[in-house]
Amino acid sequence: MEWTGLFFYLVSILIAGGIYALLCLALNIQWGMGGLFNAGIAGFFAIGAYTSAILTTGESSKHLGGFGLPVFAGLLGAALLAGLMGWAVAKICVRLKSDYLAMASIGIAEILRLVIVNESWVTNGSLGLAGIPRPFGEYLAGRSADLVFLAYVWTIVLIVYFVAMRLYDSPWGRSLRAIRDNEASAAAAGKNIEKFRVQTFVIGCAVMGVAGGLSAHYFRFLSPSATDPLLVTFLVWVMLMAGGSGNNRGAIVGALGIWSLWSMTEIFTNRLPLEWITRSSYIRMLLVGLLLQVVLQKFRSGVLPEKSPPLRFRK
Amino acid sequence: MKKCITLVAAAAFLGTSALAHAADTKIGVLMDITGPIANFIPPLQNAANLAVKQVNEQGGLLDGNAVAVYGDTTGSSQGAVDAAQKLANVENVPIIMGALMSGTTIAAAEAVSIPTGIVQISPTATSPAMTDLKDNDLVYRIVPSDNFQGEVLAKMVLDEGIKKVAVTYVNNDYGVGIGQTFMDAYKKAGGEIVAAVKHEEKKDSYRSELASLTKGGAEALVVIAYAGDSGGKIVKQSIEGGLFTRFIGTDGLRDDLLIKDVGADALKTSFFSSPTSPADNPAQKTLHDEFNAEFGEGADKAFVDQTYDATFLAMLAVEKAGSTDRAKIAAALRDVASAPGEKVGPGEWAKAKELIKEGKDIDYDGAGGTYDFDAHGDVRGYVGKFVVDGDSYKQIEVMQ
Repeated sequence: MEWTGLFFYLVSILIAGGIYALLCLALNIQWGMGGLFNAGIAGFFAIGAYTSAILTTGESSKHLGGFGLPVFAGLLGAALLAGLMGWAVAKICVRLKSDYLAMASIGIAEILRLVIVNESWVTNGSLGLAGIPRPFGEYLAGRSADLVFLAYVWTIVLIVYFVAMRLYDSPWGRSLRAIRDNEASAAAAGKNIEKFRVQTFVIGCAVMGVAGGLSAHYFRFLSPSATDPLLVTFLVWVMLMAGGSGNNRGAIVGALGIWSLWSMTEIFTNRLPLEWITRSSYIRMLLVGLLLQVVLQKFRSGVLPEKSPPLRFRK
Repeated sequence: MKKCITLVAAAAFLGTSALAHAADTKIGVLMDITGPIANFIPPLQNAANLAVKQVNEQGGLLDGNAVAVYGDTTGSSQGAVDAAQKLANVENVPIIMGALMSGTTIAAAEAVSIPTGIVQISPTATSPAMTDLKDNDLVYRIVPSDNFQGEVLAKMVLDEGIKKVAVTYVNNDYGVGIGQTFMDAYKKAGGEIVAAVKHEEKKDSYRSELASLTKGGAEALVVIAYAGDSGGKIVKQSIEGGLFTRFIGTDGLRDDLLIKDVGADALKTSFFSSPTSPADNPAQKTLHDEFNAEFGEGADKAFVDQTYDATFLAMLAVEKAGSTDRAKIAAALRDVASAPGEKVGPGEWAKAKELIKEGKDIDYDGAGGTYDFDAHGDVRGYVGKFVVDGDSYKQIEVMQ
């Protein structure tokens, strides 16, 4: 056992956890605050990932590209395009009630994913995009690059967190909660429900796009196997539920906690006796499921439940 | 949260008191154990375990035993990077064998192996993209690139006298890689492709794809997909609908599952290509006998040879380097895999260890080929032609 090794493992958990924290914060804005059941996270994640990857990679004969922009510009592009796509999707189906919106968004996410896999002139299809740069990658190599990337990811997480906190404790956020809890009375109070919902959806999708972009830069290679709905959509839902839907801090805690659980269970199952070796990976999946059950049973509204924003009256 | 903290504490504890003894050397084995290719994996885990067992029976690795530590990529980039991080940082392995799918192999290599300076050697990743990785000479594979199998398959089909085919391939790196090169090579050599359809995995019905493939009167259907998924269904549904009677498949389709699903009779005229070892390779027989003696059956499953060889090579490289110093492994791997040197075959660990101790150069020629790496860490290989024989497959020809 080597301490530097453990340290870099922790770094890797925090990087992946940070990317998931972004996805959870985004979903928290959509579901926790706005009550919009978005089950198509993978689609917006994929748009962000491919946008950022295409904008930042060098010339290639296999896919669209050659822009070679800095990583920050790539992420900005990811947010814009994912937000724009979110706007188009919201225009079509944001009026649907929660479970119908879930169905529609699953469908849309799959459409987006299949377009990406098939339009190989843009994305090189299933063969994937190689040579995606990391931020400040030209100055750094080896393990220390991971530290810089960690700081980069968490800076963005913190920015998004502060924005989300501001939204939560603002007239806008309060209206959103009112719409979520009782649409009819919010409408009677003069709130334009559809407008609020579209805004919520777009903001969430833009952040999901950024998370996708960061994943692409982290892996430095992007293929459709990075947009598996199991790991991108459903795991994020589990994280938000476990952490506390409606609570921004809960979203971050949920993302870090569940990802650590997901990752660390393998260290356990690897220590099972030899005869178990062919089964240990499945035992791990079972363990993850069991632990989730425990968390969800014990903390029904998440580890950090939702709290109403404080009321302040002008004197 | 409390659970989580307990878990972290327990993990740290487990780390320090791992089963391995101080003198033991861990070998990282990265496999896509759960996920889309799960049904390929059990015999491959057996193959890796067999290699480790033989090493330990014949003197061990360095001053202790070899211990295989598994990482499960779950078949996704996220999982691959996470599993590789654990192998590199928590288990602190000197070398990684794996992964199996190209997407997971490249993601693990780019995000983990290359930055941490670990040699990664994949037994099965066939994507052409791996050739040009900027990998500081750290990433190797012992199967030829898809470009190679596609070209050989085209030749195989023409040699059979088939001049008009319909082609369908699964829309992932594997299917597209082989599919495109096959079609290019086949057309160039004078064959005619009457219909080509790219299809998605995990669907229940492929009848609409098949409907467009039957137009044009092809003599056979080339299926580049997995038997456990779309490939098996396509074959089954074409037989049910009487659309095609002759199929040409690749290693993904060459699975006993296919024979179980559609019956050996229906596949009488079909044949399959798969990376294999030279026709009269005694090393392959040695390995297969030992494998079947240990596990009862399964030595002829796809990629058992390559997985065994990659694991064995990984351990030879560590032994040759003389320590677990990651910086020395790449050169050692090239040394033990390539000519010149005294030949060593599967299972001959004691001999290899002795030769290395005497300072002599060795050259491992495995069950799956001779593995002489080129500058990119790639190999040229052999592709075998297989036909159905009872409830399994029989190799009838080998092409280089």
